Amino acid sequence: MTLHATFPDTALEPAPLLSVAGISRFYGERIGCADVSFDLWPGEVLGIVGESGSGKSTLLRCLAGIDKPDAGEVLFRGGPAPLDIYSVSEQERRRLMRTAWGIVHQNPRDGLRMDVTAGGNVGERLMDRGDRHYGAIRERALDWLQRVEIAGARIDDRPRQFSGGMQQRLQIARVLVSEPRLVFMDEPTGGLDVSVQARLLDLLRVLVRDLGLAAIIVTHDLAVARLLTDRLMVMKDGHVVEQGLTDQVLDDPHHAYTQLLTSAVLGV
Amino acid sequence: MTTMIQVENVAKSFTLHNQGGVNLPVFDEVNFEVAAGEALVLAGASGAGKSSLLRILYGNYRPTRGSIRITHAGRPVDIVSAVPRTVLDVRRRTLGFVSQFLRVIPRVSALDIVRDPLLARGATPETATEKARAMLARLNLPERLWSLAPATFSGGEQQRVNIARSFVDPSPIMLIDEPTASLDAANRDVVVALIAEARAAGSAIVGIFHDEAVREKVATRYLDITAFRKA
Repeated sequence: MTLHATFPDTALEPAPLLSVAGISRFYGERIGCADVSFDLWPGEVLGIVGESGSGKSTLLRCLAGIDKPDAGEVLFRGGPAPLDIYSVSEQERRRLMRTAWGIVHQNPRDGLRMDVTAGGNVGERLMDRGDRHYGAIRERALDWLQRVEIAGARIDDRPRQFSGGMQQRLQIARVLVSEPRLVFMDEPTGGLDVSVQARLLDLLRVLVRDLGLAAIIVTHDLAVARLLTDRLMVMKDGHVVEQGLTDQVLDDPHHAYTQLLTSAVLGV
Repeated sequence: MTTMIQVENVAKSFTLHNQGGVNLPVFDEVNFEVAAGEALVLAGASGAGKSSLLRILYGNYRPTRGSIRITHAGRPVDIVSAVPRTVLDVRRRTLGFVSQFLRVIPRVSALDIVRDPLLARGATPETATEKARAMLARLNLPERLWSLAPATFSGGEQQRVNIARSFVDPSPIMLIDEPTASLDAANRDVVVALIAEARAAGSAIVGIFHDEAVREKVATRYLDITAFRKA
């Protein structure tokens, strides 16, 4: 195990994996998120922090293609040609979400099929992308269960027989088995006990590094952001008020709101 | 010798928005250079901004003004204006920061913490393990602790793990903040020797050392940062 990603030589990557320009989403008069723009490069982990209602989850839903924004554009360069994710067909977008992207929901029940076995939950993603050999699918599912520290003997159990922490690890296996280029995570450790969180965080940190994943992680927990992310965006009332390298933003916050956030917690 | 760090017109002040917007100026018009093989020791009273300056050199604090050119893979990179992924690449390959505090990560063993920078720079797992073990032994960390996560270690033990991690593969530039603060005399001498070896191998060193004996042994040059202070 090592502590941080190995970054490929910057000169070797000609373009960002994801280019986000001017994303806005309104709920009637109310601002969900306003005019958000950034680039995400292969292997980069971006954190979005802010309090409840700051617009971070709205933004994530737009970026992940779950909701359509009122304005703005997201270009994804994971395939042969750049893809404008809002202009492609619903079918094409769904295919993208099943193969090149992964979404880890805060509540594992939103990301798992609760009436399908653990092995089935993981194997389903492989079948989605066209794998057909049953033995190979089961073997790969078994391998992934073990990578997220679920005993192989539990492969035929259903998620409702698992603890919350195990369900979250199973969801992560289901997302990562298809080797996505980009993963979206919404409060991945929310709702878990502190000891369970630590294990999950360490697991995520190692997986993100070993697979060279690009990821966008929404969290209100600055310690989670410190541990998992390279860059940080701070949101308030739908606007990005500050962004930069994670340790810069947390150690030398410039915006009044970021200063308030970082001074409100102990020992981040 | 090659110039490794070139600081030009750097100023830093902190604005505390939630405490009446008070502005705390730290320093202004800071200019200096550090060459490969030099050990520049920052001097000045407590509160003069030595640690702030070191953090600015690392790209951790953002200066109010000025530029800091770091020689990275043979080219100058301005750490102040560089994009995040460039700063991370500079830190991985060129800039090391040694503090007295270890950031403990759940479940990661002392040995893995020390192996990490070697692996990140492409060493084989075998070589990394061998070098990490040698470094932990040199810093007198009992072998029974190597496979444990340092969360339960004493302050001095954590500090030695951190030093081992920093010096197992010295960076071309080493920024060092009070590395010997809670070490005994024997381990202090090991740290002094490690710094001298890194310098002899061509590293540029910038450091803060509270202990006068250590300072005298390490320094090739002093920089009193009180001189930059603008009241």
